[in-house]
Amino acid sequence: MPGHFNILKNVIYCFCFMFFIAGCKPSPEKEQEPKKAANKTYTVEIKGMKFQPAELAVRKGDTVVWVNKDIVAHDVTEEPGKAWSSSTLATGQSWSLIVTQSANYYCSIHVVMKGKLTME
Amino acid sequence: MKVNNHSKVAATVIILLCVLFSVPVYSQKAPKLSDPEVASVAVTANQIDVDFAEIAKERSKNADILQFAETMSNDHKAVIAQAVALVTKLKVTPKDNAVSQKLQADAKKTMKMLRSKSGNAFNKAYIDNEVVYHKAVIADVENLLIPESDNAELKALLQNVVPTLKTHLEHAIMVQTKISK
Repeated sequence: MPGHFNILKNVIYCFCFMFFIAGCKPSPEKEQEPKKAANKTYTVEIKGMKFQPAELAVRKGDTVVWVNKDIVAHDVTEEPGKAWSSSTLATGQSWSLIVTQSANYYCSIHVVMKGKLTME
Repeated sequence: MKVNNHSKVAATVIILLCVLFSVPVYSQKAPKLSDPEVASVAVTANQIDVDFAEIAKERSKNADILQFAETMSNDHKAVIAQAVALVTKLKVTPKDNAVSQKLQADAKKTMKMLRSKSGNAFNKAYIDNEVVYHKAVIADVENLLIPESDNAELKALLQNVVPTLKTHLEHAIMVQTKISK
């Protein structure tokens, strides 16, 4: 009887071990899920009356920070619809945006200054 | 034949005189300026465009003109503030001179002309003058004030102002084109 009990106990241990291994193994769905890239933060300097860089390739969810390093005030405004806009940025001030789509933008104070965000 | 030669010489002299007098005044015979005099010219040139902008804000109802004038007023005041901060730091007192006096005398005539106009005639006169004025000031800063500056910080400030002036010129030409349509 004790021999039978030991065999039964070992069988139960084996099942428990197999279930544990199965539980630890990733499911096929999880294996196929693409690895999500971490969001990045980019800086655009406003200097010499230019957005530098004037064109920036970004991914959805990335953050862009504009820093005014110029001698006069600027702003950052989506064009043509003004869907988003910073307030006036004095020298040394900055403003950030989490990108959700590609956009053209300009400085509404100096309308010839232009920039572009392109979604990759 | 003799008469023809004289005519050719006279024509050549006239053309040469025209060419000489069409070159900006400061590049013909660049005056020697000390740093206090350079500072005076820089502040005067900026203040004149602030004054032109104030006239535009009083007399125009055109949105493009008003926006441009507001930008000129704010930007040139910002440059003046930086120039004043620098000369205060350097313990330099801007010194009046022939160049700043000429700028003021010319500006007085332009302001009188601007105040005599209204409506579209004013808008056109204002923006035409802004194009001409910025071209002249860019030439003066690049060819006179920067070369004449001895102090490195004063020279650097003037060099930093040039892109602002060039952007103003580009903006003025854009408004001028829009208004002339």
